[in-house]
Amino acid sequence: MTISFILNGEDVSLNARSYDRLADALREHFGLLGVKADCRRGVCGKCLILLDGRLAPSCLLPVFRVRGREVITIEGFSQTDEFADIMKGFAEAGLETCGFCDSGKILATAALLERQARPSAREILEEMASVPCRCTDPETMVKGVQAAAELKARRHYRRASQ
Amino acid sequence: MRASEVYFPDSLPALLDLVRRMPDAVIYSGGTEILRGQSEPYARLPPEVISICGLSELRQVALTERFVEIGACVTIAEILELRENAVPELFALALRGIGTPALRSLATIGGNLASTSRFMDAWPALACLDALVELRDASGSRWVNVNRLAGSDGAPDFPAGNILVRLRLPLDRWDLVVLRKVGTRDYPSKDTAVFALATKAEKGILSEFRLAFAGQIALRLREIESKFIGRRLPLESKQRSAFAEEYHEAAADLSPRLRLQFGTLVDGVLDLLSR
Repeated sequence: MTISFILNGEDVSLNARSYDRLADALREHFGLLGVKADCRRGVCGKCLILLDGRLAPSCLLPVFRVRGREVITIEGFSQTDEFADIMKGFAEAGLETCGFCDSGKILATAALLERQARPSAREILEEMASVPCRCTDPETMVKGVQAAAELKARRHYRRASQ
Repeated sequence: MRASEVYFPDSLPALLDLVRRMPDAVIYSGGTEILRGQSEPYARLPPEVISICGLSELRQVALTERFVEIGACVTIAEILELRENAVPELFALALRGIGTPALRSLATIGGNLASTSRFMDAWPALACLDALVELRDASGSRWVNVNRLAGSDGAPDFPAGNILVRLRLPLDRWDLVVLRKVGTRDYPSKDTAVFALATKAEKGILSEFRLAFAGQIALRLREIESKFIGRRLPLESKQRSAFAEEYHEAAADLSPRLRLQFGTLVDGVLDLLSR
C-alpha cells in the first residue's frame, strides 16, 4: 500500500507493507539514521519522533498509522530555531547527553516546550521518563530544559517586539 | 511474512459496515498494546486490520457544565492536556499512571477500555465516576454504564461486534479521591490491580462513597457502598470497624499481596473519614 505523509516538511509517499514499522522505514527508505530502533517496545526512547508535534515512539507505529500526518525526526528538527535554543540551553546548563539518547531528549524537550512555555521540574522529569537513559542527572536535565525554555521565550519576545 | 490487509474507513457507518463484514478484523486505534509485546523487526498483525485513528467522529471532545464527552480515539495525552478541571481528578490520576508521555501520545482511551490487558488502567476510575460509554453496532447506538464492560464474573468483557464511540463522564465535585496502582508492571497478573475511590459529604453527612478495583477481575462493591451513604462524619469507631471488616471480607479472594494493599487503602480511607 502507498502511504503519503509529511516528513520533515516535505510531502513523501512510501510503498509500505502492513508490518513495516516507521522506525525502520525512516532509516532504510529515507536514510534518517537519527532514529534508532532498539527495544521495539516503545520503552528506550531512541526512536522518538514528533508526530503532529507530539512525542511518539516510531517503533510502535506501523507505517500505515502516519497516513496523512506530519512526522519530524531529529534531522528535520535540527534545522529549526527551537533546536538552536535547546542546544544552547543544554550547553549553558552543562548538560551533555550521550549518543544513544540525545535525539530523544532534544525532541522530548521540544514537545514539552511546545505545550508548556515554562515547565516545572516535575513536568520536565515526567516528560523525560520517555527517554530513560541515565547518562544525565535529573538536576542538570531540569536546568538544561529550563535554560532552553528561557532562550525560546526570549527569542519569541524579540520577534514579537520587532 | 504475510502482509495484512489494512482498511481505512472514512466514516462511522463505513467502519460499522467493515466490522459487520469482517468480524475477526482487529480494530487498530493507538496500537500500543498490540505492538508492545513484540520486539521482532516486523510487526505481527492479524490478517485484517481496520485503522480508525483518522476517524474524526471518534476524536471529538465536548465539554458542558455537567459532563465531558470524549471520543474513543482521543489519546491519553490529549485528554491530560484539556484545560484544568475539564476531566475529573480521579480520571486524570488514572491516566497519568499510564506509560510514558510518548506512549500516552499514541494510546487512546477507547483502546485502553477495549483491550483486555489494559482494562485495569482507567476502568476503576471510570466505574467510580459512573461514566457511560456509547456503543454502536449495526443495529444502532446505546449508552451503557462502564460497569457493563466487565462480565458478571468481573473479567473484562467488551461486547463483540460493537464500536466504542465515546465516553461521558459526569463532572461532579468530590471531596476525596484516591487512586492506587499496585503490583508489578507485568500485568494483568494476580498480584496487580488498580484501586479507585471517591467520596463526598454534604453538611457532615456522607452522600457518596464509591470504591472500584480492577486486576484480573473488575469489581465495584455497591452493596457495601450503600451502607456508607447517609452516615454522619466523622465515622464512629464501631462503624469504622464494621466497614473495615466488610471490605476485608470482600477482598478474601484476592492474592495475599493485593489483599494487603487493598486492606491498607481501605483502612487509610476509613481513618480519614473517622477524624
